[in-house]
Amino acid sequence: MPQEYDARVNLHLNVNNGLEQVAELVHTRLVESGWKDQVQLACRKAIVESGDKVPTVDELIATITPKARALVPDAVKRELYHEIELILLNLEKIGYAKSFEDV
Amino acid sequence: MAVRGCEHFQLFKESSSNMKTLRWLHAVFVVGSNFRYRQNKVINSFCHTCKNRGPYVHACLDCVYFGCHTHIREHNKEEIHNFSLELTYGQLHCTSCGDYVYDSALDKISSKNRMKCGTFKKRLFECISWSPSEEEKEMLSHRSKKMCITPESTIGLRGLINLGATCFMNSIVQALMHTPLLRDYFISKQHSCGAPSGSCLTCEISKLFQEFYNGNRIPLALNSLLHLIWTHATHLSGFKQQDAHEFLIATLNLLHQHCSATMAQPSHGHMNGKCSCIVHQIFTGSLQSDVVCQNCHGVSTTIDPSWDFSLDLGPETEGGRSPCSLVDCLERFTKAEYLGSNAKIMCETCESKQESTKQFKIKTLPIVISFHLKRFEHFKKAETKISTAISFPEMLDMSPFMSKRKKDTFFPSDYRYSLFAVINHTGNSLNQGHYTAFVRQQHNFWYECNDEVITRANLDEVLNSEGYILFYHKQILEYE
Repeated sequence: MPQEYDARVNLHLNVNNGLEQVAELVHTRLVESGWKDQVQLACRKAIVESGDKVPTVDELIATITPKARALVPDAVKRELYHEIELILLNLEKIGYAKSFEDV
Repeated sequence: MAVRGCEHFQLFKESSSNMKTLRWLHAVFVVGSNFRYRQNKVINSFCHTCKNRGPYVHACLDCVYFGCHTHIREHNKEEIHNFSLELTYGQLHCTSCGDYVYDSALDKISSKNRMKCGTFKKRLFECISWSPSEEEKEMLSHRSKKMCITPESTIGLRGLINLGATCFMNSIVQALMHTPLLRDYFISKQHSCGAPSGSCLTCEISKLFQEFYNGNRIPLALNSLLHLIWTHATHLSGFKQQDAHEFLIATLNLLHQHCSATMAQPSHGHMNGKCSCIVHQIFTGSLQSDVVCQNCHGVSTTIDPSWDFSLDLGPETEGGRSPCSLVDCLERFTKAEYLGSNAKIMCETCESKQESTKQFKIKTLPIVISFHLKRFEHFKKAETKISTAISFPEMLDMSPFMSKRKKDTFFPSDYRYSLFAVINHTGNSLNQGHYTAFVRQQHNFWYECNDEVITRANLDEVLNSEGYILFYHKQILEYE
């Protein structure tokens, strides 16, 4: 296992699907806020501008990622931050009930 | 993604053990079908080189190697292992092609695994689940009639009986009934008001939408709508033929008034100067007019809301060229116009009256644009009709006509519009003749609505028709 991941964090990721939950949350928020559509448009523009040579997915990722990151709404970042904080706080408590949602 | 399929994957597919590996990897690491798999996924999906959980962890299909975006590419190159599977969305990368590849076999595997998946994951299905409320469940249990929408189904098409030169109204109503956003708004019953029946136009239109989309096929008579219009817009009353465009403007105005009067106050405010009623949300854009003083070249800008674009068709100057396409008309509309030496305008910088030019630019575009081609001309009290053929496209890109922003942002706005309704006028003058409408239904089917007769039409017929009012709908809706 990667060293950075504390055993307890792993337990959380493991038992409660914490990682999945957070990932789903972020995914939903990004769709709702219109971020996804904006990035789609940006990709479209990048492809059109590149002319005859169609860029590969990796090239697209390289050009779009920095701009797309900057575009993530602050509200989404805040919510994600809060969510992670909640998870970590709950980890500190007790031997970790099976479901942390009702803690 | 390669345009044609990947030949390397075709070879790869031939071995059943290869496919078994792929299926297993997909089930465990992409979907995580059951608890044990998910456990496995959490423990194992990290980059074997840098020990990070991302970005974009891939699994090599030839050996037990997991790697993040950079390391998997290095690994595949060094070991000459051709394929890797992306673990978030389950895309397959082929090193020989240098890109992600698509294959129907992979699609089949992923849809099968997703179906077996114990927990619901949005990113894998890309749709939002709907859990009906108690009230909705109740309503569903009462409604047992099922309707299947096929390309052949005629739901949403209703003939309208001509009540004596009311084809101007019928054709506009047909166009409104097929405005996608307006339809969604009214069918989902967003409007409710306590006004007594027969006094609110919005309620009347709401009723009409219900009638249009309930699957019935008997032609409707719009007597109550006509009555409402007569009482509220007196200039349109009487049994004479009226101008369809005037009727459209009057209807939209009334809809706005009745929306504002009956909607709950808090939800109906003015958001940055834009009214929040459905009509304004859909049909209002804004025009920027720049008046440039010819003496000091100072610009004074005013911004006005606009409902529609009325486009001139006559020759620009005596004996000049007449516009022959919608784009021509729009270019002319947004061209700088010399106001002449008789119409001097007070310039604030020069502090005197100066000759100037005026130019319209489009500041914001509405979701639905209606172009009104000015086919009727009042010339020495006599009315003439300009029957010049004006070609108009199915897809229209409005970006050239927008006012330029200071900086071109990286994330562009999209100004593509598609045609969804055309109103035509046959006959020689405003007060006679006949109106018909072409409407688009189910994305790509066209129908001609001639009062109570509705016939299927094709796109060419629509694009070759004369055109009096053209309705375009925005393709990509933005968030506010």
